Amino acid sequence: MMTHDYALQVDNLAVEFDTYGGVVQAVRDVSFKLRKGKTLAIVGESGCGKSVTVQSLMGLIPMPPGRITRGSARLGNDELIGIAPAALNAIRGKRIGMIFQDPMSALNPTMTIGRQIAETLVVHRGLSASAARAEVIELLRLTQISQPEKRLDQYPFEFSGGMLQRAMIALSIACKPEVLIADEPTTALDVTIQAQILLLLQELQSSHGLSIILITHDLGVVARMAHDVAVMYAGQVVESGLVDDIFYRSAHPYTLGLRAAMPSNDPRKRQLQIIPGSPPDLFAPPPGCGFADRCAQAMRVCRDTPPPAYGHTHQARCWLQDPLAPASPVTSLMVNNKAD
Amino acid sequence: MLIEATALRKFFSLSGGRQVHAVDEVSLGIAEHEVVGLVGESGSGKTTFGKTLIGLHDKSGGEVRYRGELLPARYGAADFRKQASEIQMIFQDPYGSLNPRMTIFEIIAEGLAIREGRSLAALRDKVVYWLERVGLHADHLSRYPHEFSGGQRQRVGIARALIVEPKLLICDEPISALDVSVQAQVVQLLGELQASMGLSMLFIAHDLSMVRYVSNRMAVMYLGSLIELGPAEDLYFRPLHPYTQLLIASNPEPDPEHERQRQDQLISGEIPSPVDLKAHCRFAGRCPKAEARCFEERPALREVLPGRLVACHLL
Amino acid sequence: MSKQSFQLSAADFAPAPPATHAERIVRPSLSYWQDAWLRLKKNRRALSSLYLVIALLLFTLLGPWFWTQDYTLQDLDMISQGPSWGSAALVVEDPGAWEGVRGDALPLPQGQELGATTQLTVEGAATTQYVRLYWNAVPGAQHYLIYRNDHAPDSGQDLGLPLGETLRPEELSFADRLQLRPQTYWYTVIASDGLTEAASGTTLAVTTERAITTTQARERGLEATVGASVQLPAHPFGTDYLGRDVLARIMEGARVSLFIGIVAPLLFIAIGIVYGGICGYFGGTLDIVLMRIADFVIALPFLLFMILFRIGFGIGPGESGIFPMLLALVLLSWPSSARLVRGQILQIRGEAYVQAARMLGARSLYLIFRHLVPNVMGPILVTLTFAIPMAIFTEAFLSFIGMGVSPPTPSWGAMSNEGIRTMLSSPHELLFPAFFISLTVLAFNLLGDGLRDALDSRLRSRE
Repeated sequence: MMTHDYALQVDNLAVEFDTYGGVVQAVRDVSFKLRKGKTLAIVGESGCGKSVTVQSLMGLIPMPPGRITRGSARLGNDELIGIAPAALNAIRGKRIGMIFQDPMSALNPTMTIGRQIAETLVVHRGLSASAARAEVIELLRLTQISQPEKRLDQYPFEFSGGMLQRAMIALSIACKPEVLIADEPTTALDVTIQAQILLLLQELQSSHGLSIILITHDLGVVARMAHDVAVMYAGQVVESGLVDDIFYRSAHPYTLGLRAAMPSNDPRKRQLQIIPGSPPDLFAPPPGCGFADRCAQAMRVCRDTPPPAYGHTHQARCWLQDPLAPASPVTSLMVNNKAD
Repeated sequence: MLIEATALRKFFSLSGGRQVHAVDEVSLGIAEHEVVGLVGESGSGKTTFGKTLIGLHDKSGGEVRYRGELLPARYGAADFRKQASEIQMIFQDPYGSLNPRMTIFEIIAEGLAIREGRSLAALRDKVVYWLERVGLHADHLSRYPHEFSGGQRQRVGIARALIVEPKLLICDEPISALDVSVQAQVVQLLGELQASMGLSMLFIAHDLSMVRYVSNRMAVMYLGSLIELGPAEDLYFRPLHPYTQLLIASNPEPDPEHERQRQDQLISGEIPSPVDLKAHCRFAGRCPKAEARCFEERPALREVLPGRLVACHLL
Repeated sequence: MSKQSFQLSAADFAPAPPATHAERIVRPSLSYWQDAWLRLKKNRRALSSLYLVIALLLFTLLGPWFWTQDYTLQDLDMISQGPSWGSAALVVEDPGAWEGVRGDALPLPQGQELGATTQLTVEGAATTQYVRLYWNAVPGAQHYLIYRNDHAPDSGQDLGLPLGETLRPEELSFADRLQLRPQTYWYTVIASDGLTEAASGTTLAVTTERAITTTQARERGLEATVGASVQLPAHPFGTDYLGRDVLARIMEGARVSLFIGIVAPLLFIAIGIVYGGICGYFGGTLDIVLMRIADFVIALPFLLFMILFRIGFGIGPGESGIFPMLLALVLLSWPSSARLVRGQILQIRGEAYVQAARMLGARSLYLIFRHLVPNVMGPILVTLTFAIPMAIFTEAFLSFIGMGVSPPTPSWGAMSNEGIRTMLSSPHELLFPAFFISLTVLAFNLLGDGLRDALDSRLRSRE
């Protein structure tokens, strides 16, 4: 595919943080592509680097102690890594919208919802105050907030969690961004509200042609929302591909493990399979595969050599994909179609 | 029943004489060796019920009996001391539930140190035993809570509660703040410990999908009321109350094909605030099937099928 | 990447031995206080202010061991001297009475006007103890006027300070003992006939040498031989209006300032911990009543109570009252720390770990000392660090307006008060105590800022 088919393309990104006694390699060589008008889900446990990855693209990680040591990220044809903070600021909010797990902390508690959204419209789109107000009402209606004319003049604390997340979405799409980054948007919400918000995001995607990066730890949300999936573990993308590849042809033991650990509505699934242990601390990542210590199929090579990425559109970083590896529960990718 | 609440009530007073009906006449018992899953969205009163049951909140009405003995409506330190070896609790927030100034050893040993007044050093072997039983390691003893991940902390909380070998364990949303994969670890660990120790458990959670793997029975709460109660698998796969049906249907299934074919069943609106509730079905306002009578009369919890209790006029 | 796999053999793909310990924690272990210390160390501003505070404490506590000058010793020869590193002085005889030089009064020849004085001479050595002048009689002079100037007079009008005049025509000498410093003076003697002064006089430049008398030398334990050269004590911060060493007084004054500054906050925060702790832990009606009392105390005007306490203790104006000052500070400042502690305790009391301890059967005392107090120590330490400069400044202010420590006891505020009178002629008397007040207040404030950042638990996380 050509470059212009991608809304956002990230290559070989690496982010480090200085801490007491050493360096945490939070993101180690992450690449992914976000197709235009599609949803890319980045899945992983806390501490796997999924939030740091997108925050570093947006210039939202504190530097120091953080720093981007390598990589590039192109929004359309524009590079995001290494540009001046002011330029990044202009892109953030205007061309990339963001919503967070906790909308309360992203909104100013002393300003009405309407004013906060209107301010963005005035700054980024140069609207007049009255035009902005009309636009805010339209945005609130779009995000299915009832009585937008009344809600407009309310403060964040007067909104419930679900309503606040809707307001946050209204704010993030106010400038008609190309890309929407949703960082665990429904983790703090109840399942019934989660269902409402996810549906809203799907509707906005089809009406506005939004490209969405959805960060989550919940494979259920991924299954509902994603077109493409990148599974992250220990600061790396361990498997990536189309959503059906990931769910029905899992090529990495970690993805298999995640799926087995998910509860299901399927009455036949009577037992949860767990992945034992905890992810490695990226303060001192293991020399080989980060998952080797928790992997039932671990081989000698996994312990001391990091696996390469096998596959092309469906990729996996796992030695089990090597032609020399024995048969295993993971789906074998076409080994002659290796990534370069 | 090991512990049984009858018409338990907990109201909180607000200024202006208004009252929050956090728990409104909930009757629920837990038999010996039984695990009851208590499920509801935030604001449903499930956590308040759990805390009122064991004395962390004063009771506003109703009674709780433990092995037939009436528990006090208001607890003092002596009452907690008396029940410490019988009832313990693990908490939702893995960050707030461990004292940041204490080492893992001091935290886990706390129950024994308080009960037996023994020096901490004498307890080391037992603490190490429990630490390993929850999947941690003896070299974690001298570390502080902030050095652990959420799941590891939650396991420390489990070891702290179980080292005094209680009969009843209240798990207050122990998995809500964790990643799904870690939730499975904690659920499995609690299941193992429950089976090996013969524990009775009240497992509070905000969705049913994970809870069904550990529960014998499940109870669903909405706005301070118990609306459905039944055997776990039966209730999960054949929910009777309209709310339970929607709650289960809302949960995304980790199966893209299934999700693509999903018929959207959304509950409109959000759980209302439980202030000064009127006497009608708590769910009537959001219920897609509500009839006139649902707005007039509060349905009682009654047995509609053998072992299945539902509070709904329509059944 | 494909090359890598060629270098691998089938043996590499044999199953690995099971992992030993998948829950390993590799980072160094840090307790709350260790972690806070590391954060503080990274904050350069806070760290330097910590060093400054330590230096100030050492200066106060150990200073007098090294700087042994008596802070009460007055040296009227050394009044309001600027900073100096000591100087040599000649030992001279006690001035005693100088009989002076007498001559005959000469009549004024007819038709002549009074002439200028001639032969103006210094008798003996010119020292800072005395300058003895004599001159030849001027015909017709009834008495003589003596002037002293710091620079060479450039006209007859610019003769400088009138030192005095002789009383009789026979007196042809004058001894100057007025605040002499080691420098060059220009003396002018002008004859007068009782009505008019002579049109011109004679000017003599005299360079004085620093000297002390044998008596003074004996008093200071120096060699008391006339003509010996002795070394006078250094005054790096100069001397005050009574010739007392400012450095010694700053050190001594720091004791009062820091005593009030540290003891008062310690006391009122201790009261605040107990009071706020009781309110926060027990709550209910007791809490409401106690907090209304605290609100009442906050509303009391500090200065009024300060005055009342002084009167109550029978301390009149101009007398030192450290104790009433301490009492007023403690009695009127505790409510703010009580409020802080109460808020913290209320917050922590609801934490899950406190509930867990209650479930485990913990008694109140155990809860308070094991869970509540250790977790409020951070904010309390920060409050203490901010309360210290406040108390130091209050002490200085009170002493400055004469409500606190009064002379002769030195305190930085009292010294500033004394120094402000001579602010224009010898600014060092004000500048040094004021500088130390500012430095101390700044150092404690910066340290408090750094501590607050370092102890902020919100910043603590795993990632």
